[in-house]
Amino acid sequence: MLQLTDLKVDIQGSRILNGISLSVAAGELVCLIGRNGAGKTTTFRSIMGYRRPSAGRIAFDGAEITGLPTWRIAQSGVGFAPEESEVYADLTVAENIELSTWTRPKGRPAATRIEEAYAVFPKLKQYLARGGAQLSGGERKMVSIARALTLDPKLLLLDEPFEGLSPAIIPLIAEGVASIRAMGKGVLMAESNVHHVPDYVDRLYVLERGELMFAGTLAEAHRDRGVMRVIAGDAEAMA
Amino acid sequence: MAFVDIVLGGAFHAAILFLVAAGLQLVFGVQKIVNLACGSFYALGAYFGITAVGAAVGLGLPPLLFLPVLILAGLLIGLVGLPIERLLSVVYRRDESYQLLLTFGLLLMFQDVFRFVWGATPRTMDGVYMAYGTAEILGTRVPAYNLLVIAASLVVAAALGLFLQRTKTGRIVRATAENRDMAEGLGVNASRIFALVFTVGCMLGTVGGALVVPSSAASLEMAVELVVESFAVVVIGGLGSMRGALVGALIVGLMRGAAISFMPEMELLSIYIVVVAVLILRPAGLFGKPAT
Repeated sequence: MLQLTDLKVDIQGSRILNGISLSVAAGELVCLIGRNGAGKTTTFRSIMGYRRPSAGRIAFDGAEITGLPTWRIAQSGVGFAPEESEVYADLTVAENIELSTWTRPKGRPAATRIEEAYAVFPKLKQYLARGGAQLSGGERKMVSIARALTLDPKLLLLDEPFEGLSPAIIPLIAEGVASIRAMGKGVLMAESNVHHVPDYVDRLYVLERGELMFAGTLAEAHRDRGVMRVIAGDAEAMA
Repeated sequence: MAFVDIVLGGAFHAAILFLVAAGLQLVFGVQKIVNLACGSFYALGAYFGITAVGAAVGLGLPPLLFLPVLILAGLLIGLVGLPIERLLSVVYRRDESYQLLLTFGLLLMFQDVFRFVWGATPRTMDGVYMAYGTAEILGTRVPAYNLLVIAASLVVAAALGLFLQRTKTGRIVRATAENRDMAEGLGVNASRIFALVFTVGCMLGTVGGALVVPSSAASLEMAVELVVESFAVVVIGGLGSMRGALVGALIVGLMRGAAISFMPEMELLSIYIVVVAVLILRPAGLFGKPAT
């Protein structure tokens, strides 16, 4: 469904992504793991069309989307929940979540999509009238993912959904990701902490300094000391 | 001059100022462009209003229909905002100085267009201002046209508020204003929103100009004069705030009305004393968000 082929991205003359190739099939949960600055967010922003690649191609659902404007990529069925959540402070929680049904009215009925989003994060129903600025980090994360979900995407890009959250809220987000996976949607999730990677992940890619150093299953990654050194720290890899 | 005269005269000017300043605020709020050409849209509305009423007279329409003709003329010529927005789109992501230079260039270019099409002599419109008669308020007779314009401006303010707060498109506009990149990531074609917002902003200016012309004249200087006053409104009210535009316009309109009655030579000075006071005491304006 999503295919990145030899993707190269330069920012201000520096090569940030150097020949990334990865794929996500329909209904798969794939994780892109790497330390801060490895290029995970740049990969996501390139898929979404915020950054124009210097070389390589991005295909989604059988069509090339490289260089398309961001809104067209979203309209083609790619939902994006950024690392910083970017929930609208000027809109209520309900409006934030409904917004995607107005921007992409085609497809399934808005009411079904909204209901589905609240089923993933039932806690949000308590804050419907609350402004986006009055939410905690975890609540913002939930709104951001729910908003991407109401777009009715085939593929969801979740950029570090657990980053900066309190341990109390992480299980709620993890349950949400599991529900989304159960809906049969493709998910590409960026993560810097291997412990947040769900054990039902289909595949994972490890990104280091803009290059992919590993592609395989979670079990294979655990067996690879070099990979564990990058994604879990040296001490753990030696243990 | 009676107190009622001063207040209503000030409110009439405030109503016109609000329309132009609301356009300025809308465009800045969403597109982050400080549009110096807003004064040109106002002047364009005034000149085109004269032409439209001239045509209405030629068609034998009764004077009572001239007000709707003026509003329609303002809305129609406001469509000029569409091609101008496309022109401005080249500087959206550039430094603000480019935007100021380009919109200032437009202001000067429009002045020559007005000179070419309508001539350098101020143009007036007879027969509309008093066509609606007078109304008595607290013992003072005032032109009913002024009251109609004040009412029209209040209707526009309410409609604009409802559009932005209650409609789907209005909420999409607010989302685009707050975070354009995220809006695009949710499927919003921001270019279309910008075209819509700029054209509505332009129409607010052209309708303002069309409505003011029966009470004064269309002249080459009116664009620059209005830019000066509109920016006073925006600084007092707070850049990007609609409520600020309303309150700022009321303050500037009433200050100007009082100054013209008691000390005409202090007209601009009195307004700018308020501007300076606001800049010192509350730099973000009365309703603006402080810079973070």
